[in-house]
Amino acid sequence: MSNDWTIVVGVKQVPDSDEVTIDPDTGRLDRANAPAVLNTPDRNALEAALALRDEVGGEVIAISMGPPNAAEVLEESVAMGCDDAALITDRAFAGSDTWPTSYTLAEAVKYFDADVVVCGEETTDSSTGQVPPGIAAHNGWAQLTYVEELEPRPEENQLIAVRDVEGGHERVAADLPVVVAFAFGENEPRPASLHRKIYAENDFEPMELTAEDLGIDEDDVGLDASPTQVGGMDTVSPVDRKEQIVETPEELIEALAETEVFS
Amino acid sequence: MTEAEQQVADAEDVWVFIEEHAGEVMNVSWELLAEGRTLADKIDEQLVAIVIGEDVDDVAEEAIQRGADRALVADDPVFEPYRADPYGTQFRHMVEEWNPSIVLIGGTHTGRDFAGRVAVPTWAGLTADVTKLDVDEDGLLQAKRPAFGGNVLATIVCEDHRPQMATVRAGVFEAAEPDPDREGEIEHVDVVVSEEETISEVIERVIGDTADITDADRIVAVGGGAEGDVSPAVELAEALDAELAASRKAVDEGWVEASRQVGQTGKTVRPELYVALGISGAIQHLEGMKDSRVVVAINDDPNAAIFEHADYGIVGDIFEIVPQLVEAIEAGAELQEVAQ
Ligand SMILES: Cc1cc2nc3c(=O)[nH]c(=O)nc-3n(C[C@H](O)[C@H](O)[C@H](O)COP(=O)(O)OP(=O)(O)OC[C@H]3O[C@@H](n4cnc5c(N)ncnc54)[C@H](O)[C@@H]3O)c2cc1C
Repeated sequence: MSNDWTIVVGVKQVPDSDEVTIDPDTGRLDRANAPAVLNTPDRNALEAALALRDEVGGEVIAISMGPPNAAEVLEESVAMGCDDAALITDRAFAGSDTWPTSYTLAEAVKYFDADVVVCGEETTDSSTGQVPPGIAAHNGWAQLTYVEELEPRPEENQLIAVRDVEGGHERVAADLPVVVAFAFGENEPRPASLHRKIYAENDFEPMELTAEDLGIDEDDVGLDASPTQVGGMDTVSPVDRKEQIVETPEELIEALAETEVFS
Repeated sequence: MTEAEQQVADAEDVWVFIEEHAGEVMNVSWELLAEGRTLADKIDEQLVAIVIGEDVDDVAEEAIQRGADRALVADDPVFEPYRADPYGTQFRHMVEEWNPSIVLIGGTHTGRDFAGRVAVPTWAGLTADVTKLDVDEDGLLQAKRPAFGGNVLATIVCEDHRPQMATVRAGVFEAAEPDPDREGEIEHVDVVVSEEETISEVIERVIGDTADITDADRIVAVGGGAEGDVSPAVELAEALDAELAASRKAVDEGWVEASRQVGQTGKTVRPELYVALGISGAIQHLEGMKDSRVVVAINDDPNAAIFEHADYGIVGDIFEIVPQLVEAIEAGAELQEVAQ
């Protein structure tokens, strides 16, 4: 038996959060015009996965669930150093909330016989953080969230993590297979090398997997299988701020005295 | 009626998970008891505290005093310290046994870690990071959560599945106060997990003194602009009698402890005065402080987004401006003393 690990990284294409604007007339979000980018925390997940492979050996496969154009983030992952990539794509998945999404990804990581699944902490577009624990729950696997450091223990078939917990840290050992949610900003994602970039852009095509390929019943995914629905969207009128620039600390203190924050 | 419809029809009661670590209860749990009480009264059902841990009868007792009608207690060494798999399995078992209508869990790292392990196997609706809750007369929970950095509030509903679960942000509700005369029922439940079945092990756990910035009246927050030296912020906080807080950047760099982080993945604060030093004003940061009454920003970049979300701004280097500001505040304090 070899100690090589199959490491699957979940990545997602999201609208660039700096570019999402609100239509002042309708109050609706204008996501369509925001360019699609790789979810920032997923870069930390990719780095964590590649670093694990560097230590233990094995391969890193990036997967993404989404429409065909989501293949772009897979190319980026391959450019960073992933060995392979798969796009999980099917009309049947449309409208999935976190329940069917994590179910689909749970089936996908089983398909690849993953030892370790690494995800970002959360996505910048929906920020639920529910998908990594959801994958673990669907498969009955161990999970490690808010992870800041990983120490592989291939001889014990375990992965040890330093996790951020409220007010401190803990070191937890989990049995493989395990799902990791790696905390945003906790490592330095490696840049893509030029030759990997050229390879990813010109010679690489991610494989595509449909519900049928994964043995998923269409009734178990998509809008109808999603327990939650969006019941409405309200724009939050931002608190009106004075936006007054003052020159000196003295002026600032005078202004604050008027607001009565100093009693 | 299908099985799922029956489950929806039969579901009752509002559950609040009381998060404790080594006997220490997270304040968000008491906040949720207050909110849970309101919801339960609205639909005329019971408020049930869920207590999981070791030797937690005191916690259950306090939950009753703070508004629960009943406490269900799972007491066993396997639950200390917290791990996702035993907590998830035990909680799931309890959900399947009692079929609650609503389940509220604090949006802490712990709460967000195991909520999915309950929602997935029970096919429950789970809404993350809720900041507003309501329930209609049919018992349908309206869970509101900020989307896109708080520019919109999305209402999430779950019509066809039970329980309706939500993780709820810390600091958005007032904590329930204890009433020593309140009485309720404490019930010990079967523990369905054992150490042999667990798939993870906590090797070490180090917890510092955690600051609670959510109640502070005045906050001085520091960001990337401090470049490793947060002393101006500390001095200003002292001069203003304020709590020190930080952006994620300052926390990730290790300059300020994580319990003081403000923002989407940190805490929600709403002080009278919020001073942002060297903070750019990223949406994830704004989400945690945008309800502050008066916001002051000091930043050397006149185009920093924070100025659009501040009442007063000074464009300049915090290492120059803040010491002057501290001096001016202290001079002002002296004047006041002389005047008295
Ligand atoms: C999923 C996710 C969750 C996140 N959650 C949070 C969160 O909860 N809280 C949070 O804060 N962020 C969060 N972020 C990060 C957020 O996007 C920003 O990266 C972060 O807030 C930036 O921190 P900053 O403004 O302090 O630092 P920087 O971006 O480094 O900005 C520093 C600012 O200081 C100014 N400056 C530099 N030097 C000086 C000086 N000497 N004097 C005065 N000004 C100076 C600069 O002009 C700049 O405006 C999250 C991001 C993601 C992706």
